[in-house]
Amino acid sequence: MIVGLQPAALFGEDELDINVRKRLQVQLVQLRGQLRLGQGVDDFRRTIDEAMEGGDTCFVINLDEISMIDSSGIGLLVRYLASTKQRGGSLKLVKPSPFAIKTLRLVGVLNLFEIFDDDDSAVESFA
Amino acid sequence: MPPDFRNNQDTALSELLDLTIPADCEAIPKIVDTVSEVLERREVPEQKRLEIGLALQEALANAIVHGCGNDTSKEVHCRLQTDSHRHILITVSDPGPGFRPDLVPNPNNPENLYADHGRGVYLIRQLMDEVTFQRRGNEIRMWKF
Repeated sequence: MIVGLQPAALFGEDELDINVRKRLQVQLVQLRGQLRLGQGVDDFRRTIDEAMEGGDTCFVINLDEISMIDSSGIGLLVRYLASTKQRGGSLKLVKPSPFAIKTLRLVGVLNLFEIFDDDDSAVESFA
Repeated sequence: MPPDFRNNQDTALSELLDLTIPADCEAIPKIVDTVSEVLERREVPEQKRLEIGLALQEALANAIVHGCGNDTSKEVHCRLQTDSHRHILITVSDPGPGFRPDLVPNPNNPENLYADHGRGVYLIRQLMDEVTFQRRGNEIRMWKF
């Protein structure tokens, strides 16, 4: 069986939903979809860059509904972890999927992050 | 080390998917999803599908970004094949100059831990069972046993 795709079928809808709320001094970023190269990573980068330009340095990224993180997504998480720490803040993760945890572990960055089971405990950890 | 079935006469490869796509990162998700759907219909376990999908994501990204320089007038070729042992072979090739995979730095080295790039090939090698580079380094062959 050989399966082909029509060119028009190659381009789908936005694959990453981003919802941002501020709780206390923490930007709580809820992601849904795939954090991978393309529009998803571009939108995530823009979201965090704008928040940091506004002075935010404390981020909680909820990954509960992220099924895949590729190397470009990992690169962004690591970059923002480093840049927020340099400014006295941090970037913490909530509920990455088992496959996301495996991916982060495979490239050796899992232990760089603080990981929480829920938003509340992640936000409160900044107090 | 898994056995090498590839040269056996009774393990001829069957074509599951053969695509040529524009070198556009926005095309990657559809290809990855399509491959995953084909593998799901063949009852490949979910964990294995996830690993293959992420490896394919990385291979296509490398081909498009590095092999084609994000030039959408160029094209990337992707094949999905299987053998009689139900092993999966994915081949991704691009028209670029290729690269030396042995020169890719290890992202686990302390000086690379906070780098924002350079994990793709390493991740592919971790996720797949056998990875080789053909031609001048602009074709990657990835086996999942």
